[in-house]
Amino acid sequence: MAENHPVGFQWVMEARERGATLIHVDPRFTRTSAMADIHVPIRPGSDIAWLGGLIRYVLEKEAYFKEYVVAFTNAPVILREDFRDTEDLDGLFSGWSAKDGEYQVDSWQYEGAGTVPAAGHKHLPAGSTAGADAPDKRPATLQQRDETLQHPRCVFQVLRRHFSRYTPEIVEQICGVPRSLFEKVAEALIRNSGRERTSAFCYAVGWTHHSVGVQYIRTAAILQLLLGNIGRPGGGIIALRGHASIQGSTDIPTLFNIFPGYLPMPTTAHGATLDRYIQGNTSPTGWWSEFPKYIVSLLKAWFGDAATKQNDYLWAALPRLTGDHSHLTTVVDMADGKVPGYFVMGENPAVGSPNAALQRKGLRNAKWVVVRDLAMIETAEFWKSAPEVQSGEVRPEDIPTEVFFFPAAAHTEKEGTFTNTQRLLQWREKAVEPPGDARSELHFVFHLGRRLIEKARASGKERDLLLRSLVWDYPTNGEVEEPSAEAVLTEINGYTWPERKPVKGYTELKNDGTTACGCWIYSGCFAGGVNQTARRRPGREQSWVAPEWGWAWPANRRTLYNRASADLEGRPWSERKRLVWWDAATRTWTGEDVPDIIADRDPSYRAPPGVEGLASIGGNTAFLMQSDGLGWIHAPTGLIDGPLPTHYEPPESVAKNALYGQQCNPARLEYPRRDNLYHRAWDDPTYPFVLTTFRLTEHHTAGGMSRWLWWLSELQPQMFVEISPELARLRGIEHGAWATVSTARGSIEARALVTRRLRPLEVRGKTVHTIGVPWHWGSVGRTTGGSANELLAFVADPNVSIMESKALTADIRPGRVEAARRGPALPLESDPRRDLPQVGQHEMPSQEPLR
Amino acid sequence: MTAAKGFFTDTSLCIGCKACEVACKQWNQLPADGLHFSGNSYDNTGHLGASTWRHVAFVEQTLPAALGAENDSSVGMRWLMESDVCKHCQRAGCLEACPTGAIIRTEFDSVYVQPDVCNGCGYCVAACPFGVIDRRDDDGRAWKCTLCYDRLSDGMTPACAKSCPTESIQFGDVEELRVRAEGRLAQLEQRGVRGAQLYGQDARSQPGTGGLNAFFLLLDEPEVYNLPPDPVVPTVKGRESWTFAGLAAAGMFLTAVAGAVLARSRSIR
Amino acid sequence: MTTVPVHPVPFLGPRELSRDTDGREVDPSLGLLQGEGAAQRVRTPEPHPGHLAPTRLDAAARTPTYYGLPVLQEPVWIWTVPAYLFVGGLAGAASALGAASLIAGGPALERLEIRCRVLGLVGDVLGSGLLIADLGRPGRFFNMLRVFRPTSPMSVGSWILALSGAANGAGVLLGRRRGVLGAAGRVGTAAGGGLGALLAGYTGVLLANTAVPLWQAARRELPVLFVGSGMASAGAVLELFPDSGASRKLTHWYGSIGKVVALGAMVAMERSAPRAPRVTEPLRSGATGALWRAGLALTAAGLFASGLGNGTRRRERIAAALTLAGALATRLAVVHAGKRSARDPRATFEGQRAGMGAAELSRAPVPKPAAFKLPVVR
Repeated sequence: MAENHPVGFQWVMEARERGATLIHVDPRFTRTSAMADIHVPIRPGSDIAWLGGLIRYVLEKEAYFKEYVVAFTNAPVILREDFRDTEDLDGLFSGWSAKDGEYQVDSWQYEGAGTVPAAGHKHLPAGSTAGADAPDKRPATLQQRDETLQHPRCVFQVLRRHFSRYTPEIVEQICGVPRSLFEKVAEALIRNSGRERTSAFCYAVGWTHHSVGVQYIRTAAILQLLLGNIGRPGGGIIALRGHASIQGSTDIPTLFNIFPGYLPMPTTAHGATLDRYIQGNTSPTGWWSEFPKYIVSLLKAWFGDAATKQNDYLWAALPRLTGDHSHLTTVVDMADGKVPGYFVMGENPAVGSPNAALQRKGLRNAKWVVVRDLAMIETAEFWKSAPEVQSGEVRPEDIPTEVFFFPAAAHTEKEGTFTNTQRLLQWREKAVEPPGDARSELHFVFHLGRRLIEKARASGKERDLLLRSLVWDYPTNGEVEEPSAEAVLTEINGYTWPERKPVKGYTELKNDGTTACGCWIYSGCFAGGVNQTARRRPGREQSWVAPEWGWAWPANRRTLYNRASADLEGRPWSERKRLVWWDAATRTWTGEDVPDIIADRDPSYRAPPGVEGLASIGGNTAFLMQSDGLGWIHAPTGLIDGPLPTHYEPPESVAKNALYGQQCNPARLEYPRRDNLYHRAWDDPTYPFVLTTFRLTEHHTAGGMSRWLWWLSELQPQMFVEISPELARLRGIEHGAWATVSTARGSIEARALVTRRLRPLEVRGKTVHTIGVPWHWGSVGRTTGGSANELLAFVADPNVSIMESKALTADIRPGRVEAARRGPALPLESDPRRDLPQVGQHEMPSQEPLR
Repeated sequence: MTAAKGFFTDTSLCIGCKACEVACKQWNQLPADGLHFSGNSYDNTGHLGASTWRHVAFVEQTLPAALGAENDSSVGMRWLMESDVCKHCQRAGCLEACPTGAIIRTEFDSVYVQPDVCNGCGYCVAACPFGVIDRRDDDGRAWKCTLCYDRLSDGMTPACAKSCPTESIQFGDVEELRVRAEGRLAQLEQRGVRGAQLYGQDARSQPGTGGLNAFFLLLDEPEVYNLPPDPVVPTVKGRESWTFAGLAAAGMFLTAVAGAVLARSRSIR
Repeated sequence: MTTVPVHPVPFLGPRELSRDTDGREVDPSLGLLQGEGAAQRVRTPEPHPGHLAPTRLDAAARTPTYYGLPVLQEPVWIWTVPAYLFVGGLAGAASALGAASLIAGGPALERLEIRCRVLGLVGDVLGSGLLIADLGRPGRFFNMLRVFRPTSPMSVGSWILALSGAANGAGVLLGRRRGVLGAAGRVGTAAGGGLGALLAGYTGVLLANTAVPLWQAARRELPVLFVGSGMASAGAVLELFPDSGASRKLTHWYGSIGKVVALGAMVAMERSAPRAPRVTEPLRSGATGALWRAGLALTAAGLFASGLGNGTRRRERIAAALTLAGALATRLAVVHAGKRSARDPRATFEGQRAGMGAAELSRAPVPKPAAFKLPVVR
């Protein structure tokens, strides 16, 4: 965090100065470790074993916060009889269908009740377990519970059994962390959790960029729920995101499978009508029962008067998902010539996305590519300066792609909000006009849309109906006709229709077409017609929560699930850690933060059985968005690869899975292709070392904003890799000399930084070496160098299609790279050792057959 | 004259982000120093110079168990980071060596080089006991940190202190910073941090320079950070040298006179 | 919101990359270059990587270093500076000899006196030229006389050189005249002699008044060395002119004393850091050590060759050549050894740990900046 969020890290330093214990778990000793009290060197890709070990330890020592767990989590809930855990099936859960290559999640459900994932179904391939065919329609509140947590099929006991073998010894075997160190961390965690103290977990892509990335977060969530740290000050799990406003880019999404506010996209298989879509995704209970209001208001925001109840709000004309249109799958389709056009805005996939060579192959096989950026990044120059062009493998004259480059305005040259890690929206003013032809994204998209709408109006075709119906009347100003960002934000906030009077929040949204709202979770950011995101009251003039700095979604609530900071009577667990509480005098919830509970819901209120809608939310509900209002230790639905996290090895590993026969995540997204070769699942003799990628403070992502500046480039002027002295000795690599790192996807050269900050680890009796590779360099800029992403393969987490970039295997040799040589790799049939025989072969639906 | 302003750089709070280096370059619009990969941990800058007025040093140390490893992983590892800067000494070697009067002491008690006076004789470069000031070959003149004289004149904080996210670089009245530094040292010692020391906080601790207006809290010996352990402004040893020069000159003259007398007497005879 | 005229703005593309840049990336159409460092002239953003040239780490090192990188900045002076040391020492010693001849020498030494006077003036002028050539901004050489700063040997020296040049100039131009002007000329010569004596030795102080460990350690020996070496050089040059009798005796005497003093100072200098031998290491090893030894050998050979002063012309000339070569070698050795000493972090660290830093001071200096009571001309 110190390296990649240095400004945010000042608060961690502040906490440390006040006596907090800092524990840093990372394969490398980084600038964060330098400030930490405890550094835990861990093998990349083994964090579920680590966290699972902590869970088991907490359960074993009975150090969990029992009242919290019983009150606010689904630990007491009893599961179905036909549920089978990984302990029973050697690494699989019940319900695996080899034919479909996915899980049927029915058996994961509660006994006697159904559940709906928070914010609906977003399964990637449109499987039968999603949408309207969801298995169990009975309200989640009909669940059966054992408050004593003794029932053999209650979540608590299932959890205990699931992690029973994650002993400190096995953690030492799998993660390479000595037992004493593990226990030291566990004790510190336990000591600092419970009633009077809380602990926070901060994570970044070191946890998410794995084929089991989502399950990493789940394991941390389970641990924090057990310890009673969720929803409490100084607790929680903080996602440190990858760059400025990327939180915003998932909220108002640039993701293929969600609508603004994380509403699900309709698919061709489900949601033919708005009603079916709602039926398939809504929950009868919990706050999510309000969902229809949000989708209708969204459609109203898009189409205004053209969308009416009579025409189902133009639902039928909306595009639908036919399958997985995620980044990796789309690029593969591009490489196969199936995708003619590509807009790349503020992104540099030729350097920043995995298997950079395959990314560029995709670019070469598109008909046209539009790049918007501050500099002529590698993605705009792929036809001229890419490694394969420089080596002569590909000639520019053979590339038919038409590339359009639009200079982009920098963040000081446009106004609008950033939404960063804490869900905080902060308005930015424009300081100067963008120079020359540079324009903001808002300008580009608005005017592109305007021209498309003009064409649509002229064409009169049926397929152009949606374009014609768009509400696109944002006011513009200035010579260049810059659209008003405030107008857009107001629409995102939501207003009555057609008066356009801003609403106070999502509680004012309706499902009858009288409100419009661009993103329900952002509703309230322009309450009263005042730009709440522009507030900048200094912290010293407010309470410690500082609610008048910017605006956080939802409803300016700074800590989510803060109901859990008080007990069942509405009294804070601890006066020292009080956040929200029930004021009996005024009969409302109040506190330092905006309470995450219906304001006047008495803590003693329990919904009568069968009640639906907001009335189903009890005064004891801390997790409003879940259909049963509980923190899900066991996730009965919503995840593709398991209700509980399981230690799976990365698809390319140095060790066999010590716990299960199932080596890797059975539901992982794989792309077996000649241009995406994989290594062996473990013990690959050609690629015996672990490779992990990392970032530097001095550079920014794919380098488009840092490698063009002297002042930043001179701080880290050359591509380098970090290796331990032991690995250097093993391979005969000298400190500072050139070394070549290679995988089956490609080879890059870099200077070798031999440092003790990397240590070989003992894993299952074997010494495991790690190569640390920063991924900032590319072929254009003041400083150029090899891209780490030349080495990575397309393999991803099935829930969110995020690539495995943090744990793979590779080789390193002294000397420079001669050509883009690719070492021997597996034959194209995937390594059977990744999966148990009953898992079968899985294929991505939209791929060409292996050739 | 206003109170003396300076820096207290507390290296126990430095996260090595180099925001200070970049903020300094950006505010002062300094040119780059070239792309040179050093292999010295994350320090590719190397040293202060004519166009680098803030430099972050990195030292990786493996600690023997005896020293009580800071973080208790199975190997004791420590990574020291320090943002180096011109010390703006009370007795400044560069100022006292400058023959053109280009180097002056400002109303903020900082040491400032006037680039319109400097003729690049380079004497200050050799006279600085910390190796701070340097002459840029392209340009010919000597340059160093100005303590953001332009910002101070407008009541603002120097760029490096402003940008430091963890307040490792603290700006203020030197007197007040001294008190703060003593308190911080005591606090660290109480926490069991061994080897922490203040560097140059007053004339008593660093008699050779009279104390530094930009002083430090270090976590190890000065040499580890490339700081001289007992720096002295060369001028204070000048009297000795002048004495011998004077004696030698007198000797030369007397020799010449004696020789002339002798030669004359010989020639008469 | 101000509008900026729409014009093609240099965009960060491959063409911009290949263009020479000043390493600031500030587009003048978008930003004003008004920072303190904006005036720094840049030809290429790739200056000397001297900072990053590490010295070899030694197992025998008594102190840690920072990757072997230098702690000090090495002196930036070019070859004209050791050349000036040679010329200035020679000129100063010649002026002193000339003044002494004028005062105490009588008519027999008149020719010698004239030669010394001219040698002094030529040396002053040539020396000034050499110094100006070393300046980073030679056009601003006159700023040397902008102030008089007693703490700075360079300031004092600049004034000495300027005044010496004026005095010697007066001496040369007016010394032969009659009357008041002649008297003024003779005063000039006498003054030039006094100044010349200082001129020969102040450069030693100048070098010693730096942070360079070797020079600071040898702060007593260096002025003496330069004075002696100056005397030897002056004597050697003068011996190249045909002369006889008193002049020859005088120049021989002068030069020999000079050589003895110089040799003694050199030997003493090698012992100037007994507690920290690293400081004087450049005098013992490497190219600088070889140069130093050459200086010693040549000067000694010159002393030996000139003998008791009654050898042949040819021997005299050989001795003179050897002496001059020795003096030049010594100056070069001192300057380069100093630079090497500055580059060696261990010299500074070990020297200071051995008590050669502020610990040497008998009492702490006043912690306030030195007050300049003498007028500072702006």
